[in-house]
Amino acid sequence: MAEACGGPDAVARHHASGKLTVRERITALLDPNTFREVGKLAGRASYDKNGVLTSFEPAPYVMGVGKIDGRPVAVGGEDYTIRAGTGFGSDRRKGGQGGFIEDLAYEFRIPLVNLIDGTGGTVNTTRRKGYTVVPGYGQDGCERSTDLLGIVPVVSAVMGTTAGGPSMRAILSHWSIMVKGTAQIFAAGPPVVQRAFGEKLTKEELGGTAIAVDTAGTIDNIAEDEADCLRQIRRFLSYMPQNVWELPPEQRCGDPVDRCEDALADIVPRSGRQAYNMKKLLELVVDTGSLFEIQPTYGRALITALARMDGRVVGVVANNPMFGGIMDYKAARKQGHFVELCDMFNIPLVFFADIPGLMVGAESEAAAILREGVRARYIGFQVTVPVFTVIVRKCYGVAGGGVIDRAGLNFKIAWPSGNWGSLPVEGGVKAAYRRDIESAEDPERREREIEEELRQLASPFRTAEAFAIEDLIDPRETRPYLCQFIEALQPRLRTQLGPKCKTGVRP
Amino acid sequence: MARIEVKSEITGTVWQVKASPGDKVDSGDVLVVIESMKMEIPVITEDPGVVKEILVKEKDPVAEGQVVAVIDG
Repeated sequence: MAEACGGPDAVARHHASGKLTVRERITALLDPNTFREVGKLAGRASYDKNGVLTSFEPAPYVMGVGKIDGRPVAVGGEDYTIRAGTGFGSDRRKGGQGGFIEDLAYEFRIPLVNLIDGTGGTVNTTRRKGYTVVPGYGQDGCERSTDLLGIVPVVSAVMGTTAGGPSMRAILSHWSIMVKGTAQIFAAGPPVVQRAFGEKLTKEELGGTAIAVDTAGTIDNIAEDEADCLRQIRRFLSYMPQNVWELPPEQRCGDPVDRCEDALADIVPRSGRQAYNMKKLLELVVDTGSLFEIQPTYGRALITALARMDGRVVGVVANNPMFGGIMDYKAARKQGHFVELCDMFNIPLVFFADIPGLMVGAESEAAAILREGVRARYIGFQVTVPVFTVIVRKCYGVAGGGVIDRAGLNFKIAWPSGNWGSLPVEGGVKAAYRRDIESAEDPERREREIEEELRQLASPFRTAEAFAIEDLIDPRETRPYLCQFIEALQPRLRTQLGPKCKTGVRP
Repeated sequence: MARIEVKSEITGTVWQVKASPGDKVDSGDVLVVIESMKMEIPVITEDPGVVKEILVKEKDPVAEGQVVAVIDG
């Protein structure tokens, strides 16, 4: 009876809106024939006076264990076809915050996938109980959801319109995704907003992908449709270990370690003012087809991606010159979150730096660029995984200092196009040598002279000779160089497994 | 024909205008170049079509998210 979901009519309506039922989603997500459901009998049954079952409404939540790429995973999701996936008042919740499936993921130390398609609490519960409760009361708490974030990978997929509790459940994850057009997420939906402000918005305007993903970064990635969403979840988990006590699985694709792409030699334009395609650069370096961007449409001045090098998982952070490569508050948030994610799951980091600095200007200051930028740097100082820095071009200022492994080996390599400092020569000269310039006979010429002198000193070879940068390499050698060191650091990762205890107050 | 708005992803000033109304453009073509933080940042159309309007001229200040061109695509 449970497999009928909310009945043929409700299922047909659900399908007509471009959605799969929760059972179809779980089947499509998992390896074939691996789903073992728990709590299938849970629901509301009525019996006649002889004790014969007369009707049954299944609990609007389906969950259990299954496998993805042969590895166990806990999975659960609301059944929207039954009372829009709202709670049903059982003694023990099946899923969502505080549910059985969360406990299972925690106890078994396996990843959790939340397929979210519920509208959260309902005033009907108050009617049934006869009293109101303080938020977070009883089984509704998020203590377990919070514990999980330090123990096992948690993925949330928003696959319908969610508000309140299920929205919170979506955010309490390591990675989240939502389906374009059919999914929306907000703190409260259009009717509540209209009552509060008189503002009439559609649910897509309030919480569609354009707001929730591209603008706010509330959710990380976008799926074109439900099939794409489930594929991307499988892909994300392929980079993750089962828990913090294990390393991510190695997965080789036959891409040779010594592949040296000639295209890397001239990908960076001679003029420091011109942009180039950083994503293409990354693809030339990492294992073919292994680059998986996290938050690709938010804070686009920065690229954060999971990838593999000779089959071993790495976290890639790269400034994107197509968007100036400047660290704005969005890029700073994105970097901090991604670095923390990689650190939690023992994934070494590789920075590809081309960063002129923090975004300046009144707008940026008002968005707390200093606090956001310094927080990203603070998070970077606390990492326990090895960090490599490849200085592709610029590396300047407060933001530039955040791409370097100060907490560890401080291992940085540069391309010949690299240049760095506390601030660029242009502009910096005028500030530092004002008196010298102003007292000269020809101030402009004097400024140019000082600039030229400093520019010669800024040759990356001088820094390499002083061993203030560990290596200066031919860009084509980047892949073999990094692959060898990422192999060499594996013992370090194996000896630091387990939960991370961090102290201090983030700025 | 759909009206497609092409926006600047970054605050800056217009450095160069690379396309004019009536031009046929392909996805990936540069319409305008913005100067920001001493960098030349291309504003690229993601969709092919015909340029209907260019809404900025050289040296204009541009805000993040500002529409700089409209394409019929």
